[in-house]
Amino acid sequence: MNIISSFFKKPVCRAQFASDPVFETSGLLLKKEIDRVFGKSIAIREVDCGSDSAAEIELSNLSAPHYDVERFGISFVASPRHADILAVTGVVTHAMKEALIKTYEATPEPKFVIAIGDDACAGGIFLGTYAVIGPVESVIPVDMKIPGNPPTPATIIAGLLTLMRSAKKR
Amino acid sequence: MTQIFENPVKQPLLPSSWLIQKDATASYYEVPADGLEEIILVLKALESRLVWLFCTEPATEGSRLWYVFERGETPEFLVLVLKAENPVSIATFYPVASRFERVITDGFGIRFSDSLDNRRLLLHERYPDGFHPVKKSFQNTSLQSVDSWAPYEFQLMGGTSVYQVPVGPVHAGIIEPGHFRFSVIGETILNLEIRLGYLHRGIEKLAEGHVPAFCVAVAESISGDESVSNACCYVMAVERIASTQVPGRAVCLRLLLLELERSYSLLSDLAGMVTDIAFSASASRFLIIREELQRLCERLTGSRFLKGMIIIGGISHDIPDELLREAKDVAIKAVSDLDTVLTWTMTIPSVIDRFATTGVVREPLIDQLSLSGPVARASGSSLDVRISHPYGGYEQYSPVLAQKNNGDVLARFLLKGEEVLSSLKYIIALIPEIPAGQVHTHVDINDGYALSAVESPRGRTLFWVHIQNGQIERYAVSTASFCNWMALEHAVMGNIVPDFPVINKSLNLSYAGTDL
Repeated sequence: MNIISSFFKKPVCRAQFASDPVFETSGLLLKKEIDRVFGKSIAIREVDCGSDSAAEIELSNLSAPHYDVERFGISFVASPRHADILAVTGVVTHAMKEALIKTYEATPEPKFVIAIGDDACAGGIFLGTYAVIGPVESVIPVDMKIPGNPPTPATIIAGLLTLMRSAKKR
Repeated sequence: MTQIFENPVKQPLLPSSWLIQKDATASYYEVPADGLEEIILVLKALESRLVWLFCTEPATEGSRLWYVFERGETPEFLVLVLKAENPVSIATFYPVASRFERVITDGFGIRFSDSLDNRRLLLHERYPDGFHPVKKSFQNTSLQSVDSWAPYEFQLMGGTSVYQVPVGPVHAGIIEPGHFRFSVIGETILNLEIRLGYLHRGIEKLAEGHVPAFCVAVAESISGDESVSNACCYVMAVERIASTQVPGRAVCLRLLLLELERSYSLLSDLAGMVTDIAFSASASRFLIIREELQRLCERLTGSRFLKGMIIIGGISHDIPDELLREAKDVAIKAVSDLDTVLTWTMTIPSVIDRFATTGVVREPLIDQLSLSGPVARASGSSLDVRISHPYGGYEQYSPVLAQKNNGDVLARFLLKGEEVLSSLKYIIALIPEIPAGQVHTHVDINDGYALSAVESPRGRTLFWVHIQNGQIERYAVSTASFCNWMALEHAVMGNIVPDFPVINKSLNLSYAGTDL
């Protein structure tokens, strides 16, 4: 096939899946709020402090084609220095306490901390045992809790929407 | 020696007077402390693998060490039980034992003489010296961590122009925490030392003193994307102690959930591998299939990670037949979509270029390091708990063994692709066979102990459960990831640092499942 004939070829385009209208609606509302509070985009840094990795999987799923939250101005970044929001999962273990505090201190102001999952919010079945310190708020201040075992991508987006609505423009 | 092993093929390996328990999964022999080395030499000559070593502390007598062996094609495990008095390390015979011994030293304070490595493994510096959480004398309450400590000593590589690259515990991606210490010359990795334990949540101690029903949730929280495997492994041990038969429908539905979990779990490995070579067009297609499966999980069970379904005696609620038919349709579509994506991905030269000969796990490592699961099967092993130690319905509905020989990233990619396809086909064939009937039976909790083995998406999971007075006395856990992490240290040697992410993803091991 030469280059000219490819101009006249009908483009191949078919929907791989049906989009979820509820998720799309809350995503667009969230985009509006992000535009208002943070000016176009927010950057999230994820920190796992003792989770069983299910919450991490759901957070990565937010970037998968079904959700693709970068459309709404949400991106996940590699360094806390680039982040506006810390998404902390899991009950904080003794071994992760120092890393969590350092990550928090490395995140520039203004910043928000969200606790994701039952263990991060309240400690879950691990509360009061030797290996853990407790929920995230026992180590660093938490602005928003999104419970669930783990919360679904839609729940996480709904939680972010609530956070953005409650936030004043800083 | 000949008296003990008259005929290793036909006769039992050990005198029957030493036998203390025999059940469907394992035979337990009480062995005198000075007899261990002799038996191990013979077991090693018979190509038996040490798959696990754990410790217990019974209330009335001294601590015991339990050496679990897998012998060739024999379906039952061989367990040697020893008094833990001045134990000697067996790491020179089975290198994997070194890490098991370090876990025992952490948990119980038992030291092994001639040990290769005396550093703590899962307990970090914040834990006080002399702290041994699994000892019965320690009550599980909040612990005051120490504020000053000596830094952990990594292995140092000598020579000029060797430099170190520290990575973690907080990584660049959305993954679990762990520390990787690379020693590098130029771009080539000379040595990698993996340090885990950041997610140590005290799983084993947490279960103690609770009723067995509570601990299903503990087993589920070992690793998020292996929750069904871990829950199944745990409840099967409890059901074996109680000598309970699970109803046929529940057995089949558990098989369905196990294979569904394997499919969605391995699909994220496939997506991760192509993401790490910057081929997002292929990754997106894998992720679309995976998301459809996770949505199916939610429709079937109410949880995208199939949590809360497995209970002692069956499953928590029935799945109606029309939903099962829908599951079959989703699986049929997933098979055809996945087949297309896999075939297309394998036609891209840059994929082959990055995957082939990268991160080779050599076959001799499998027995030495007790590797299992896709990592072992991509290096020529035929180890699969579902086939070699069939459990919970796999006796009747046997899966197809997948195998590759090269042991590189490409072999693991192809193998995992095949395994997802064969799991989905297994689901398609299984659904019409699921009988009608109850999905739950009452279980009278008995006292006793049992070993249970399951093939999780990452490989061999072994649990040992001991119930006393209706409560969990000891819950010992061994996951595939614990042993398979060592394969990563070997696989990266001689590769360049930029290839580390794809090699790591091709194994995709669980941090939480290792740190417990």
